[in-house]
Amino acid sequence: MNILGMQTLFAKEVRRFMRVPGQTVLSPLISTTLYFIVFGYSLSSRVQTVEGTPYLHFIVPGLVFLGIANNAFLNSSSSLFITKIQGTVVDLLVSPLGPGELMAGFIGGAMVRGLIVGGLTWAVAGMFTGFSLEHAWVAAWFLLLSSYVFSVLGMLAAIWAEKFEQINFFPTFVMLPLTFLGGVFYSVRELPSPWNAISLFNPMVYMVEGLRYGMLGRSSFPPLTGAAILAGVAVVATALTYGVLRSGYKMKA
Amino acid sequence: MSTPALELQGLTKRYGDFTALHSLDLTIRPGEIFALLGPNGAGKTTMIGSVCGLVKKTAGTIRVFGQDLDKDPVSPRYEIGLVPQEINFDPFFSVAESLRIQLGFYGRRRDDARIDEVLTALNLQAKKDAMTRALSGGMKRRLLIAKALVHKPRLVFLDEPTAGVDVELRRDLWTYVRKLAAEGTTIVLTTHYLEEAEELADRVGIINEGRLLMVEDKATLLRRFGERRVVVTFEHPQAAMPEAGRRFSARLSEDGRTLTYVEREGCAPSGELLRALYAEGQPIADVETRHSRLEDVLIEILRGRPQAA
Repeated sequence: MNILGMQTLFAKEVRRFMRVPGQTVLSPLISTTLYFIVFGYSLSSRVQTVEGTPYLHFIVPGLVFLGIANNAFLNSSSSLFITKIQGTVVDLLVSPLGPGELMAGFIGGAMVRGLIVGGLTWAVAGMFTGFSLEHAWVAAWFLLLSSYVFSVLGMLAAIWAEKFEQINFFPTFVMLPLTFLGGVFYSVRELPSPWNAISLFNPMVYMVEGLRYGMLGRSSFPPLTGAAILAGVAVVATALTYGVLRSGYKMKA
Repeated sequence: MSTPALELQGLTKRYGDFTALHSLDLTIRPGEIFALLGPNGAGKTTMIGSVCGLVKKTAGTIRVFGQDLDKDPVSPRYEIGLVPQEINFDPFFSVAESLRIQLGFYGRRRDDARIDEVLTALNLQAKKDAMTRALSGGMKRRLLIAKALVHKPRLVFLDEPTAGVDVELRRDLWTYVRKLAAEGTTIVLTTHYLEEAEELADRVGIINEGRLLMVEDKATLLRRFGERRVVVTFEHPQAAMPEAGRRFSARLSEDGRTLTYVEREGCAPSGELLRALYAEGQPIADVETRHSRLEDVLIEILRGRPQAA
């Protein structure tokens, strides 16, 4: 195994997004913080509690998840896609980096960015609401695995995409609706029928609720369900990405 | 016999109905400079891409220093360096950082002395800390070459390495390539500058429409397919073809001033023609000779000239 090659790719990925922190860290942090201020303060006067939790506190785990998922996905997808567009993917394909090393480098870098943005979002929210971490291990599981899953999905999107329009397809048409309808700003239990039943098919719901359990100690669903769904998605996405990279699909002529 | 640097057996690449490579067989000896020549779309880059992991072959076997890429597609790549045809660069990094990253990809620790050595050889030392996006086109090409060589590969593919670079770099690169070959590095070169292949190559392969037409030592190729054109200028215009010219199937110009004789392998030497002209008492003012270059030979072969004996 090419450990040094993998470490080099990981370090390169981290350095790449740290070269433009305004774009990769500050900008998403501001967006997520604005969600917190606009939604939190505008709605908290009318929706004072959700299932017994103050509304401002209730939305924090979802916003942290939003920061992690979006940025982990965007980092791996944009970085790999750009290497294809600018031709530097040649450096990766010619060098002795197998699918495992490529995944570790890109996913590791994307997880770091996702966790930085998620962590900073939590820090900003904590200044308004105070910090709450009821089940640290559960929170850690959901934080780490969420960042991992969306990093892998970002890689898959980048491998598949051939045009800029295609690389924007997932965040715009898949992730954004699923996240916003995934209980970040409300409890899906409180939705009217049939929307509450339909929401149960959205995997984001269980991820957000799992993190909510870890941070606030309460959740609409058993955290084990969310943990299992997240682990299942992680295993499937990992196997799929590894297989696709190994086959050379859309990476080699 | 030492293990070949590269061995291709039945290498085939199809894109749908189009066959880019037709069952290529080729052996590259360790330490040689091999020039792969052919027109655009002949299959040169597809062949190189198949070896370097950029192209998925349809059939055939590729061995790099004896290691079968089907059995182990990753390990042999430690030994390979590629200068791709298209310029690419990562705008987030400086020249030195790009080379450090390249070393790391090949499992090598940071080695600033090696980076300085390569940058100096390619006249890029002054740009060591410049961001890659600030480099001129020619400098970006130099950086590509530096990236391909920095990890000291034993097999280097130079896919049109001097396209768009100035004469000075071309000469610098030639010197460096000769030095690498002398140190035992195997070089596979494609180029549109046939002067480059003529200057550097030990052996030449000619490929067209995905078929390897010929592999030959450069000197043998030039001898077998080359020709020497001898142009004799007379002191006075000739009214008719001199008898010696007729015997040697030479050609008299319309104004009768010059006689041209094309000497190929198997033909009578041009010296005999000159002796016969002197013997006839023809007053000769000047004799000019021109040897074929690789370019002429390539054109001849691609036009399908039958092989000389």
